[in-house]
Amino acid sequence: MSEYVPGLEGIVAAQTSISLVDGANGQLVYRGYVIADLAEDMSFEEVAHLFWYGRLPKRAELDGLAAQLSESRALTEAASAALAALPEDADPMDVLRSIVSVQGISRHLEKPTLEQAIHATASFPTVLAAFHRRRQGLGPVKPRADLGHAANYLYMLNGAESTPEVVRALNTYMVLLADHGMNASTFTARVIASTDSDMCSCLVGAIGALKGPAHGGAPSAVLEQLEQIGTPENAEPWMREARKHKVKFMGFGHRIYRVYDPRAKILKAMCERMNPKFFALASQVEETALRILHEEHPERPQSTNVEFYSAGVLQAIGLPKEYFTPTFAASRVAGWTAHVLEQVVNNRIIRPQSEYVGPEPRKPVPLAERG
Amino acid sequence: MTEFSPGLEGVVAAETKVSEVDGANGRLIYRGGYLIEDLAPTANYEETAYLLWNGALPSRSQLDALRQEMVAARRLKDSARATLMAMDPDTDPMDTLRTVLSAQGATKTIAKPSVAEAVALTAVIPTIVAGAYRRRQKKDLIEPKDELSHAANLIWMMEGKVPATERVHWLDQYLVLLADHGLNASTFTARVIASTGSDLASCVVGAIGALKGPAHGGATFAARTMLDSIGSVENAEPWLIDAHARHARFPGFGHRVYRTYDPRAKILREMAKTADPKLHQVAAHTEELALKILHDAHPERPNATNVDFWASVVLTGAAIPKELFTCIFATSRVAGWTAHVLESEEDLRIIRPASVWLGPEPGKKPLPLDKR
Repeated sequence: MSEYVPGLEGIVAAQTSISLVDGANGQLVYRGYVIADLAEDMSFEEVAHLFWYGRLPKRAELDGLAAQLSESRALTEAASAALAALPEDADPMDVLRSIVSVQGISRHLEKPTLEQAIHATASFPTVLAAFHRRRQGLGPVKPRADLGHAANYLYMLNGAESTPEVVRALNTYMVLLADHGMNASTFTARVIASTDSDMCSCLVGAIGALKGPAHGGAPSAVLEQLEQIGTPENAEPWMREARKHKVKFMGFGHRIYRVYDPRAKILKAMCERMNPKFFALASQVEETALRILHEEHPERPQSTNVEFYSAGVLQAIGLPKEYFTPTFAASRVAGWTAHVLEQVVNNRIIRPQSEYVGPEPRKPVPLAERG
Repeated sequence: MTEFSPGLEGVVAAETKVSEVDGANGRLIYRGGYLIEDLAPTANYEETAYLLWNGALPSRSQLDALRQEMVAARRLKDSARATLMAMDPDTDPMDTLRTVLSAQGATKTIAKPSVAEAVALTAVIPTIVAGAYRRRQKKDLIEPKDELSHAANLIWMMEGKVPATERVHWLDQYLVLLADHGLNASTFTARVIASTGSDLASCVVGAIGALKGPAHGGATFAARTMLDSIGSVENAEPWLIDAHARHARFPGFGHRVYRTYDPRAKILREMAKTADPKLHQVAAHTEELALKILHDAHPERPNATNVDFWASVVLTGAAIPKELFTCIFATSRVAGWTAHVLESEEDLRIIRPASVWLGPEPGKKPLPLDKR
C-alpha cells in the first residue's frame, strides 16, 4: 500500500491519449496538437471529432457530425417539462445537472456509445438557453440547423444571430476549455464509468464536480473581485489591503502549470481586442497580483489561470456571469464524453483505499443505556 | 510521479474515521470503532446514520430529534414531484432516483455541505424510490406516514399498507449493514465531487450514478437473477457447472478487499433462514457449490461470498422487488456518502490525479480542412 497523498497529487489514475497537460512547459496538447495551433482556426465540432474519433475530420465527416449534432439539439418532452418545473431562481448548474439527467433516462442500462456522446454534447446549449430565456420570462428559441454549435448556442440564448466576431470568440473559448487532462470533473466521469454505469450518469456526476468553486465555479468570482477593485489605480491599495485579511486573489494559481497557462495567453489577447475596458483593469490587477504573490512566495510559480481572462471574454460575448460555469460545462462535455469512451475500452473499477484514523474496535452501548 | 495502478488498487486516496474495511481479518468497523456484528443488533438505520454523521450513537432525545428532522424532510418539492411525473414510468429506477434527487437538491446559491442537508437527502430518498415504484405500477403516489421508521415508511409508500414487523426488521438490518464500506467507487465519487467545493446534492447525485454500474451496486440484482435462473436446489450443480464452462462469472462471489468471509454476508446469511427459507435453501446449496468450483479452478484466490449474494435473499424475504435492489442499496449508502463528504470538508483539497500520456508526440501541425 502506498502512502496517503492528499488530492492524489502526482498519482497516476489513468492512461489517456485525449489530452496532455505539460505543466512544466506550459503546453496543452489535444491528441498531439498543441492548443495554440487549434484554438483560432478549428471549430468546436472539429475538436469534438478529434476527441471522439482520434483525428481531425475531412470535409464530409465534419458535415456529417455537424448534421448529427444539429439533429440532436431538441429536448425530450420529459426534459422540457422538468425544465419548466424547476424554480426560476435555481442555480443554472443545478438545472443543467437535473435536465441532463432527465434527458438521459432510459429503461435499460446501456454501455456508453459515441452516439450518446454526440447527443449529450448537442443538448447542453439547448438546456442552458431555454433556462436563460425562462428566467427572463421569454419562451425557448428553437435551434437552427444551419448554424454551427457556438453560433446556435448564442442564437438560442438571445433569439437573434450574433456577429461573426462574437461567434468566433465563443467558439475559441469552447475549443480552449474542451479538455484538460485528469481534472476533477473528468476524473469523476471516469470513476463513474469504471463501475460500468451509463454515459448520462458520468456526465451528471461531472457537472456536479465542475460546479465546485475550486474547479469550474470560479470565473464569476473573478468578475466580482474586479468589480470590487473598480479602477486600475485602485488595484495596488485594494489588493495590499485584501492580503492583510487573507483574501484570495481570484484567477491565480494552478496545481499543474509552472509557467503561463497557454489558454490564458490566448484569452488575454482576445480580451484586449474585445473587451478593452475589462482589459485595462484586469491587466493592471494581474500585474499587481503576480507581483504581490511573488513577494510573498518567491518559490511558488504563481501564474494567471484560465479563469481570469475567461471572465472578460465571456462578458464581451454577452453571457451573464451565472452562465460562465455552465458554458464551461458545455465545452468540457466533449472531453468528458471522450474520456468515458476511453475508460470503458480497457476498464477496471476505480476503488482506491482509505486509511482508517478512527478509534480501535469497542462495544456499542444499547439505546436505553446511553447518556 | 508514481506508476499507473489500474483501478487505483492499493492507492490510499483518503484518511477516514467513517468506516474501515479490514479485509485481511474480515472485519467492517463503523465510525466510533464499532464492529458491524456488534452494531447491527444494537442500532437501527436512523441510529447508524446518526453515528456516521456525528461520530457517536445518539441518546434517546437526540434520536427523537433526528426522527423529527427526517419526517419534516420526507416530502418532495413541487418541482421534484413534477419532474418525477414527467418521466416515462418504465424508466430505470436508478435514473429516476438520480434525476429526482437532483431536482430536489436544486437551490439558488451553493451551500457548504451540512449535517442538516445530509439528513434531508437521506430522508427523501425512500419517497423517490417508492414514487418510482408506484409509477412503474401505474399507481398514484402515497404520502409518507410520519409515525413510521425510515424502513417501515419506505414499504408503506410502496404498498400503502403498514408492513409486518419482521419485514421492517429485515429491511432495516440490510440498511444498517450497507450504510458504509470504506472508499468504494460511489463513495470515492462523492469525495471527488466534494473536493471541488461543490454542494452535497451534487455529491450524492454523482454517487448514485456510480452505484448504478453493474460492477458496483448492480451486483445484488445480478445475484438474485442468478438464483431465479437456478430455481431449485437440484438445478444448482448443472447450472453452475454449465456457467463455469462458459467462463461466466458467478454474481455474488469475489471481492477486491475481503480475504475471508464478509462479515455482512455472514449476518445476512443467518437472517435469510427466516426471511426466505425456501430461497435460503437454494442459495445455501448454490453457495457451497460455487465456492467449491471457484476454489478448484483457482485454489490461490480467496473467493468468498460477498454481501450482494445474501442481501439478495434477505431483500427478497422482505418482499422488495428486485428491480429496486440497487435503489435500496442507495437508500442505505447515502448515510455513508454524506458522512464522507462532511468529513472531507474538514480539510478540503481538490482531488486531481495525474495521467500517463499514450497519445502522439506533441507538436504535429493540423492540416487545414480542405487538405485532409
